[in-house]
Amino acid sequence: MKTHENSANQFDAEALKALRPENQLGKTALVLAAVCVAGWFSNIVNGSPLLDALPGMLILYVMVIIGLVIGRVCPFYLPSVAWVSLISIIATLPFFPGNGWIIARLAEVDFLAVVTPVLAYAGLALTGREFAMFRQTGWKLVIVALLVFTGTFIGSAVVAHVML
Amino acid sequence: MDLKLLLDWRLHLMVIVTSMFAEWIGIVRIPLGPGTLLLLPLLYAFIIGVIFNPHLFSAMGKVIPKPVSNAAGPIILIAILPFIAKFGSTIGPAIEQIIAAGPALILQELGNLGTMLIALPFAVLVLKMGREAIGATYSIAREPNIAIISDRYGLRSAEGIGIMGVYVVGTMFGTLYFALMAGYIASLDILDIRALAMACGVGSGSMVAACSAALAEAVPASKDELLAFAGASNLLTYATGLYVSLFIALPVTEWMYKRLKGSRQEVRHENS
Repeated sequence: MKTHENSANQFDAEALKALRPENQLGKTALVLAAVCVAGWFSNIVNGSPLLDALPGMLILYVMVIIGLVIGRVCPFYLPSVAWVSLISIIATLPFFPGNGWIIARLAEVDFLAVVTPVLAYAGLALTGREFAMFRQTGWKLVIVALLVFTGTFIGSAVVAHVML
Repeated sequence: MDLKLLLDWRLHLMVIVTSMFAEWIGIVRIPLGPGTLLLLPLLYAFIIGVIFNPHLFSAMGKVIPKPVSNAAGPIILIAILPFIAKFGSTIGPAIEQIIAAGPALILQELGNLGTMLIALPFAVLVLKMGREAIGATYSIAREPNIAIISDRYGLRSAEGIGIMGVYVVGTMFGTLYFALMAGYIASLDILDIRALAMACGVGSGSMVAACSAALAEAVPASKDELLAFAGASNLLTYATGLYVSLFIALPVTEWMYKRLKGSRQEVRHENS
């Protein structure tokens, strides 16, 4: 029980505060470059050759950095993902200068190929605590979790379906 | 976290090799009853990652030492960002369709309250769970939701254990489950595919990624439109999710829990 308490404390402190990427921009910029390289290579198989995809990957890199910087300086809190998303939306809006070029370069980067490395990191990153907690809380919470996911998906889909 | 660990070449090389291999296997379609299960490269990448995880098989520590594996945790948050940027770029060009779908898009946010609709009664009545069920079912159990539970009950409370359990299951299987479920429900062809795309926006980068990618593969003709709707919906969830779960979802879950517990006790009285 004691180890469990410690790990809960650890989670409190670490995951919710220190891990926000916008709080350590220098490190994030370097790590981001590494993960972009991973995505760049992953993109070879079903996307485009390295040179063709290079401008697109660089655009994604720059968009993320801009989003993180805004997240850092903004007086109210929105997750950095929301800022990155907004930057990218604005840059591809029909009236944004050069949007056609940006969209064409990004088309060289396959949608799925950029996610595949994320899941590879996720598989490698699972900790002993997560494996242990999974064994401990076991099957009941697995069932409940899957029902939670199903519920929100079906719930949203039915409302949207009716409204469309 | 130490920068040397975060940039450890073994970790990133392992990810590159894993991803390229997973991409090479490609998408596999498995017919199942009236629908089709879609297996995406991200599924294989995750499984390969788990196999090489030194915390599960300590022999793998020779390839990826444990400290390096721990460094991969914070990297996930960063690794999802280029994808989010790619995702946003599908929204810009489709802005007119999104505005046209505005009311549906906004109201389906309320559908996120569906987390507790099936799961809470099942947890309380069938699995006989206690207050863990509140933490487990009031939201999709991502970081902002954990912050709320941690603030209100503390993470070592029953509610905290509930949400952490769902958080862990979500981390381990959420992405994969969403990909399978979304692809399957799309193949059943009951609900409007655009409605399913909006439903993908649950407020988790990797879940929305897998969910919308599966939809896009199920109906390749409307890929761009589907990605745009999913992305817009997810952005909306990022903006509103915290407030909806704090001011609506949590009170509703508390209320439902009391009613469910109440009815169960009445049944007991009748039996005895």
